[in-house]
Formats: sequence, structure tokens, C-alpha cells
Amino acid sequence: MSLERKDEYDHGEWMKEKDLTPVESVFLTTLVWMDRRFRIVDYLEILETLYYRVNLQMPKSHTEQYNLDNKFWYWYPLYALGSFSTIAYVVAALSGALLGFYYAPGTEGDPSLAYNQLAFIMTDLNFGFMLRSIHRWSAQVMVAAVFLHMLRVYFTGAYKEPRELNWIIGIILISLTMVFGYTGYLLPWDQLAFWAGQIGVEMSLSIPLAGEWVAKLLFGGFSLGASTLQRMYIIHVFLLPFVVTTIIAVHIAIVWIQGIAEPH
Amino acid sequence: MDSSIDDTDTDADPEASAREVVVPLQLYKVVTVFSTMFAVGFVVGGFIVLDTATQRARLSIAEADVPLAILGVVMIAAGAVVYAFSTRFRAEGMGKPKDGSDEPSNNG
Repeated sequence: MSLERKDEYDHGEWMKEKDLTPVESVFLTTLVWMDRRFRIVDYLEILETLYYRVNLQMPKSHTEQYNLDNKFWYWYPLYALGSFSTIAYVVAALSGALLGFYYAPGTEGDPSLAYNQLAFIMTDLNFGFMLRSIHRWSAQVMVAAVFLHMLRVYFTGAYKEPRELNWIIGIILISLTMVFGYTGYLLPWDQLAFWAGQIGVEMSLSIPLAGEWVAKLLFGGFSLGASTLQRMYIIHVFLLPFVVTTIIAVHIAIVWIQGIAEPH
Repeated sequence: MDSSIDDTDTDADPEASAREVVVPLQLYKVVTVFSTMFAVGFVVGGFIVLDTATQRARLSIAEADVPLAILGVVMIAAGAVVYAFSTRFRAEGMGKPKDGSDEPSNNG
């Protein structure tokens, strides 16, 4: 018996005693060779340690306490959806701020000022096509990621006590995300936007008792016009950014304070 | 030869016996990280090559660079194969959730 402790990093020894097919040994040998040269796994482990240092959990997480990591590993990729939504939101905010330099919510003229500005961004402005595409795609990704994030929270039971408040805040956020999407959808003021707006007015009018009041407040009247676009613009670029950013901050702060819920 | 005979035996009933190789956790991490990197690189690179060969699918079939296009498709397939192959490696205790579990399957 040798004095040296048997090292689990000694892949050569380990592979000899294992019954592997030729393809498997070549595959593993290649990857180990890569790992010896580019120690990416080590750097990822440093990141993992940093993550746990930063996210001190109180109380100790379920999986840590009962050493259940091996049972739950297949859920972990879905735990990235919340971050994914946040990143999409930040990207949309930055690209939206840049788009705001060139867009104007005017309905005068035929085609309208708004549509002309859009055509300018898409065809004449340097990187304009890319900028608007980034804004549109990040919006699409955010809506999808937020919805899938909600499914993950539901199916892992992460909404349960003591996290009910954050679940309700999340419902508010997903609703506001859709309002964000709808108001942005109307801004190009093309046929698609106009008739989507028409549907919005009629949906508001169908609300019992408060319908007419809601249509006037949100759409500036019963038929679409300059005031409709103006209101959609202000909701999209002024009202919602403040409100949603604040609620996202509260949402994430509560996750930080309570710790991430483990599946149970 | 022996191993190839074994393979044909297991291929006869692929659903029932997908091969699993249990490896140390450290090696499992190496396999996951590097095979994912290779798979992503091959698939993305394959699409770039395919786009180059067909000018983003704008060329007619006669004008397209056929060998390059085939190379692109082969790269995409290679990425998929690397990823699929890597899924047979598992760390200890990392079985499929429904198999080999000490929990009963009746939700307690």
C-alpha cells in the first residue's frame, strides 16, 4: 500500500479499472486532456463558491440541509429564468433609451410622423435596424421568460409560505410586462398597431360600469387618434419604466432576503 | 470486436437499456462543461458555415457551394452527437429521478 492517498483526479488509473468502450475512453481522454490545459471547471467552481458566499441563505437551504443535490439537479437550469427575465428587461431598457432619441409619437401626416421615424430608424439610421431588432427580441424573450419563470415557481412550490407576497408581486409584474408589450406594440402606428389599438378600446368599453371611463383614461377617447398614441407613448417610456423597475427591485430584494426556495 | 458485439446486443432494445457510465464527480463536471462547449461550438459554427455556403439560403441549389453546405450540416450533426454521447456519463447517485430512488413512487 502506497503512502500517497488515492487521488480522484487520477483519471488514467481510474479509467483502466473501468469497463469502457473504445469510443468512451477516447472521448473521456480528449476531454481530460482539454481540462488539463484549459481549467474552465476550476474557474466555474470558483464562481460557484463566490455565488454561495454572496447568497448567504438563512435558513440553510433544503438541499444543503439534507444533502439532496443529486435528487434535484435537473431542476437547476430552470432556476435561471428569473435572471434571464431581468437581463432581457435591462437590454430592452438600454436599447429602448437609444430608440427614444429617434422616435416621436406624432400622428400627423400620411404616413404618420411616428411611422416615418420608424422607417428612418429601420432604413437610414446606422445600426437602427439592429437596435430596433434587439429591442423587439428582448421584449419577446422577456415575456416568454417571465411566463416560464412563473411555471417554474409554481411547479417547484416556491410560492408557498413564507413567499406568498412575492408570488403576488410576481403576478403584478407579469401583468405589467404584458402592458409594456401592448403599449410598445402600438407605437409603430402602422395597420397592425392601429387595429390592435381598436381591439384595446373595444375591450375597455366592454368592462361593465367603468368601461367608458377606462377607455377615456387609457386611450384618450372612444376612437383612436393623436391622444391615443401620446398616452401609449407616455405609459411605455415614462410610467411603466419607473413602476416596473421599482417592483422588480422589490421582487429581487425579497428573494435575496428570503433565500432561493428549493423544490420540496 | 467484443465491444462492438456488445453494442449490437444493447441496440436491439434501445429504450430498455440506454448505457450509463458512472464517473467521479470531478470527471462528470469536465464532461459536462467541455462537451457542452464543443456541442455549442459545432452547432453554431455549422450554421455559420451553412449560411456562408448558401448565402443565407438566398442562392438557388445550382449556385450553392455543396461541399461547404454538407460540411455545415455534418458539423451541426457532430455537435448533436457529442452532446447526446455525453449524456451517458453520470456522477454517483445521479440516476434518473424515478429510477433507483429510495423514495416510494406513490408520493408517500
